Amino acid sequence: MKKSLGEKCFQFFNYTFLIVISATMILPLLQLLAVSFSSPIAAESKQVFLFPVEFTLATWKHILQNDVLWRSFGVTIFITVVGTILSMLFTVLTAFPLSRKEFLPKKPIMLAIVITMIFNAPMIPYFLTVRELGLMDSIWALIIPGLISTFNMIIVRTFFMGIPSELDDAAKIDGCNDFRILFQIYIPLSKPVLATIGLFYAVGFWNTFQSAVLFIRDQTLWPLQMRLRGYFTSPEALAEVNLITGDFDFNTITLKAATIIFATVPIVLVYPFLQKYFVKGAVLGSIKE
Amino acid sequence: MGDSSIKKQRESNLSINTNVLNKKKNLISRYLDNIKKNWMLYLMIVPGLLYYIIFKYVPLFGSVIAFQDYQIFSGILDSPWVWLDNFKYIFSYQDFYQVLRNTVMIAFYQLIFGFPAPIILALLFNEVRLMFLKRTVQSLFYLPHFLSWVVVGGIVFELLALEGIVNAIRELFGAAPILFMQEESYFRTIVVISGIWKSVGWGTIIYLAAITGINPSLYEAAVIDGANRWKQIRYITLPLLFPTILILFLLNIGNFLELGFDQIFNLLTPMTYSVGDIIETYVYRAGVLQGQFSVTTAIGLFQSVIGFMLLWIFNRLARKSEQGLW
Repeated sequence: MKKSLGEKCFQFFNYTFLIVISATMILPLLQLLAVSFSSPIAAESKQVFLFPVEFTLATWKHILQNDVLWRSFGVTIFITVVGTILSMLFTVLTAFPLSRKEFLPKKPIMLAIVITMIFNAPMIPYFLTVRELGLMDSIWALIIPGLISTFNMIIVRTFFMGIPSELDDAAKIDGCNDFRILFQIYIPLSKPVLATIGLFYAVGFWNTFQSAVLFIRDQTLWPLQMRLRGYFTSPEALAEVNLITGDFDFNTITLKAATIIFATVPIVLVYPFLQKYFVKGAVLGSIKE
Repeated sequence: MGDSSIKKQRESNLSINTNVLNKKKNLISRYLDNIKKNWMLYLMIVPGLLYYIIFKYVPLFGSVIAFQDYQIFSGILDSPWVWLDNFKYIFSYQDFYQVLRNTVMIAFYQLIFGFPAPIILALLFNEVRLMFLKRTVQSLFYLPHFLSWVVVGGIVFELLALEGIVNAIRELFGAAPILFMQEESYFRTIVVISGIWKSVGWGTIIYLAAITGINPSLYEAAVIDGANRWKQIRYITLPLLFPTILILFLLNIGNFLELGFDQIFNLLTPMTYSVGDIIETYVYRAGVLQGQFSVTTAIGLFQSVIGFMLLWIFNRLARKSEQGLW
């Protein structure tokens, strides 16, 4: 089929437009990466354009020796690992009964859960509830209130419903109970979708911020995002050592750039490998609402 | 072999019998039967149910403190009831109108510019014929979805800072530097653009899935009839995409006033409160930080009621032309 001149023109502008805009998705991070490897003088005098100027490792040395930052990193690792495991368990255990036709209260429970998607829990009563539970200033406040994402639960339920029921009929005749059917038949069959929601949960826990703002006053329990925010609002805290040693190989501009990269690197590193799972999950979730 | 098939036959006869019986039984004994037979399923759902009750429904019903003068030490049960006093208070309070105006304005801009953006982008993606280019471009567009608003806010502040790259470029053209993040006039634009930047790529996924579902023979027939690409988009893709657009619009309108705490909180500075302080950030400061629990809950309730009314109105309108959410 021959293309008209108009179509060729459109194609050219469309490609150019998409390439330019998609470049803006990554360029800000590259710019900050460049700033974090540049000298403070270069950063301050606006010489850095995507490539480091007067290359120095001083900023990164300072960042990587920052115990407070590593502590927050540890908190975030903990809530990401423990939170993801617990979330997966809760999600699967909730999704499985709701996918079974022999489970009588399936419909009313599903309705009650979907209602919570339209009516979000209001901030203050939510805050007071978590406080009443004694979770203030506890690391569990960063995990438990976000255990189940309804969106992810529906993805898993939809997938479970698509598994042919002949499989578990056969298993039942062989004497399998529901727990064994779930853990030995359904979960192994659902690996791709479980990988997807596992990644959704992990990214969610890695980015935990609002829970920390609401429930964590104790700075030693701050997750990474909260620490980052703390450094943005008072960057002096980042450069403290700077004043003592008189070491001026970095300044708050290069330090802030480096902390942003520090908090982003794990996501950007796993991203290319896991991207296909993310997309699959988002499509699955949108099929049946 | 024969034994098991006889057993199966018997079992199915049995289940037919119980089904007949079940119809005669009332609801309670049907449930008791069901629990006895599938008790493991009931056991499995207990943790999930507890989660939804404690973290979703208790706070939802906890909104009654909007009608009380909530005292921490008395709790919901013993706090005095003041009925509509909190609402009278917020509607007579000047700051509330400013916060409400900011929320509505930003929500409106986000609806006008933010909502159509992924639709347009999905249509553009769909026109790309080079698969490797499509995949690369899409991957880049999805990336910001996975960054937190703290990080994105940090990026925005750094790039728009006095020493940031935007002012560096301005300097190249001889323009004076601007303190973007501290000036009121830029705040809402920055909110809308950063919001689109972060979510536009991810938002295309649902539309692309819907476009993939369109029967290719429609396009083939249109080509035979001499329709060019623009006409194919105009008369096939868009009309068939309309139900998806409508559903997403309805889901969006229900949360019209909920802009997302994280985004605004991470972009706001005291200098931009007058244009950028929204209901959620105000409720956080006055409620969580200053302890005015009842008044801020009343504001939250007001916000939910508006959201639900909008959803109800637009759902009615939607049902007239297409189908709504219910």
